[in-house]
Amino acid sequence: MAAAADLALEEALPAGIRVLVIDDDRISLKVVCIMLKKCGYEATQCSSGKEALEMLTQYEGEFDIVLTDVHMPDMDGFELLEKVGLGMDLPVVMLSEDSSRETVVKGINHGACDYLIKPVQIEELKKIAVHVLTWRNANSSIDSDLIED
Amino acid sequence: MASTQIKAQLNDLLNSMFAMDFLDEQFKQLQMLEDGSCPGFISEVITIFCDDAERILSLITELLSKPVVDFEKVDAYVHQLKGSSSSVGAKRVALVCIKFRNVCQENDKEGCMATLYEIRREFDELNKKFRTMLQLEQQIQALDSKR
Repeated sequence: MAAAADLALEEALPAGIRVLVIDDDRISLKVVCIMLKKCGYEATQCSSGKEALEMLTQYEGEFDIVLTDVHMPDMDGFELLEKVGLGMDLPVVMLSEDSSRETVVKGINHGACDYLIKPVQIEELKKIAVHVLTWRNANSSIDSDLIED
Repeated sequence: MASTQIKAQLNDLLNSMFAMDFLDEQFKQLQMLEDGSCPGFISEVITIFCDDAERILSLITELLSKPVVDFEKVDAYVHQLKGSSSSVGAKRVALVCIKFRNVCQENDKEGCMATLYEIRREFDELNKKFRTMLQLEQQIQALDSKR
């Protein structure tokens, strides 16, 4: 059953997905990016929220999903989440060692479409493609509603 | 000397590191990631980790030597070290980091000094084993490529 789901996902997203990964810890960044590569996804690294916003502004439309660490020195994941949510049309997944209930709920309430606990397993990263699809489907139905009006 | 003997040595080293909790499941995940498409991934990650850890420990030592300790800064560095050690699978180091954050949050200077000493010991031990691991791997590669 898992294999069929994987196949369906591959068919829906033949070009794979382009992920922007943000983490101030360069080891975590490296490991997550290699895992994403193994999943067949394209990963771009960023080590701060500020850098990420610059990239997203400059290369809007070139990413399908953002994967961000929560606790970062210059701008925490929640602030980034708000800014991305306001200006850009992208799903955001949060990544953290902090598995406390409040932080997870905070993430979801701020608009994160998922919250992964570090160190993350490759199986969990595979599933982020689902969020890209869900996001696209949700947004395309909104667009078609607008056209009808 | 055939590489098989050295491979056995490397295997023994890794098994003992897992058995003694120097390394955990996360490291196994990393081992599975290393293959033809990203050779040398593990040695790269280990090297970055050891360099970063060394740097962070020096910074923490410096911060704790000041008459007035900036516990927030110390905590931030420990948080970083905990993150990277978890990412690499360095279980024992990660566990002492958790302990460290607790004493930091209590602004307990003595506790911090004692825990710093403990992390140093754990990290130095791990570092030694990592270096042996990398040396053995290099020897294996050298011997295998000669064939």
